[in-house]
Amino acid sequence: MEKHEAAFNALIEQDLKIEPHDWMPDEYRKHLVRQVSQHAHSEVIGMQPEGNWLLRAPSLRSKQVLLAKIQDEGGHGLYLYSVAETLNVSREELITQLHEGKARYSSVFNYPTLNWADIGAIGWLVDGAAIVNQVSLQKTSYGPYSRAMVRICMEESFHQRQGFEIMIHMARGTKEQREMAQDAVNRFWFPALMMFGPHDTDSAHTGNAMKWKIKRESNDYLRQKFIDKTVPQVEFLGLTVPDPNCRLNETTGSYEHSPLDWNEFHDVINGYGPCNTDRLDHHRNVQQENRWVREAAAAYAQKTETVNSSL
Amino acid sequence: MVISIDTNFARLLVRLADTELILAQRLCEMCSRGPFLEEDIALSNLALDLLGRAEELYKLLAETEGKELAADDYVYRRNEREFFCYKLVEQPNTDFAWVIARQYLHDVYAKSVFTRLLQSDNSKLAGLSEKVLKEIRYSLERSKDWMLRLGIGTEESNHRLQFAIDRLFRFVPELFAFDTVDLQYIADTEGLIEEWKMEVSDTLRTANIQEPELKSTHLRDSREGFHTEYLGHLLSEMQFLPRAYPDATW
Repeated sequence: MEKHEAAFNALIEQDLKIEPHDWMPDEYRKHLVRQVSQHAHSEVIGMQPEGNWLLRAPSLRSKQVLLAKIQDEGGHGLYLYSVAETLNVSREELITQLHEGKARYSSVFNYPTLNWADIGAIGWLVDGAAIVNQVSLQKTSYGPYSRAMVRICMEESFHQRQGFEIMIHMARGTKEQREMAQDAVNRFWFPALMMFGPHDTDSAHTGNAMKWKIKRESNDYLRQKFIDKTVPQVEFLGLTVPDPNCRLNETTGSYEHSPLDWNEFHDVINGYGPCNTDRLDHHRNVQQENRWVREAAAAYAQKTETVNSSL
Repeated sequence: MVISIDTNFARLLVRLADTELILAQRLCEMCSRGPFLEEDIALSNLALDLLGRAEELYKLLAETEGKELAADDYVYRRNEREFFCYKLVEQPNTDFAWVIARQYLHDVYAKSVFTRLLQSDNSKLAGLSEKVLKEIRYSLERSKDWMLRLGIGTEESNHRLQFAIDRLFRFVPELFAFDTVDLQYIADTEGLIEEWKMEVSDTLRTANIQEPELKSTHLRDSREGFHTEYLGHLLSEMQFLPRAYPDATW
């Protein structure tokens, strides 16, 4: 065991990737499964708030762009469930954990989408925040996860640009459109900042994750990076950040901001967000209502297999 | 009439475009509601093909009519009675068997129609038909595959598919009620009906589904803008934003 552990540590030390057949500490595997599962579920649950405006997309083009985006998110979910499978956990197990409330997904998807600009704000702010996190995860020590991140980041950057394009249309549109755009920023700004997770001092899982190079940067570092990148974009749109204390510190070159409402963060994580119940019910109901379809497909496969093998 | 359709060629185009659009909107309703993730993604693919196809047809329609209207005007600024999709495609996603049966019945028909439009005098429509036939053949392969899976799979899936087919078959005679507009542009409609019946009968038989009798009459044709009550609700949702904010651009 010690020899295995030394080999594992040496790979980590040299910034080489851990592959599925390599020996890894149980805790490493467990941490990865938790993180990858949370990531996969976020992609899949995230289809719902965006899907909420798919039928009402205001042009043929915007409908196609949005549908293609949601489809990409589903595809990301698939890659990530596959990454989890390389760690010996099936998609079914992960989905059961989700339905039982044992697995989490990004808390930002527990907020409702209430106007069309929200679709812009999700692409721009939520995917934007995800990119900052995922670019950092391209260097994660687990090979399959790292490779999935490279591919996902390419698609996410499209989504972010498309989201920003919606915001430009809205912010430069009619008075009502500008109001929708500002309303969307007001509602999604803080939830987007919370996507980076708790304060570094309160982050229960950070320690080993950094040591094992699963996580490469701290929550607060990434959050600040996102703020510094995004506030100028908000200004470019002629909109404002819903934080009177958000201002550039000339000395550090970074934006200062008000403390986040961590009570709200924990409330949403613990199931009290505006949409937690709806998101899970939707996913669970769709699974249950379509059980017969999956059974039919399995029965058909079995029947045709029998026929083929008897030929 | 807010937006009139003035020539026979435009009437043909608007029927095709509306049919693909409304079916796409129904498939969009399935987003995040597929029986499993891969199928969810596949249904989105179909919807994207249909939306792209509808958009090209509306563009050609706008060009033909020359009224300085854009494709989106045709989508978002017409009322129920000004839509000309076949009633089959506006039927709801009652369950996955309905989604598949509706798609299959549409795909067999669309394949025959667009195959005939390859010979269109309008080179754009002929070119577009060539492109969309590739998509339709793939979609048909897939919807037929699901017909067999559901028909043969389990007793429950067989019953559900049988019910969907029984209910949807009453919209089939409308597909074949070709009027002078159709006859002007779609060659060999008798052959088309035969092809369709032969192919569908064959699939239903293989899938252990009893073929309902095709009624020889139907009333209130979609070619005259008659629909089931489902279409109005679909449109009011789809058109909400451009209707609520007529001055906005998106």
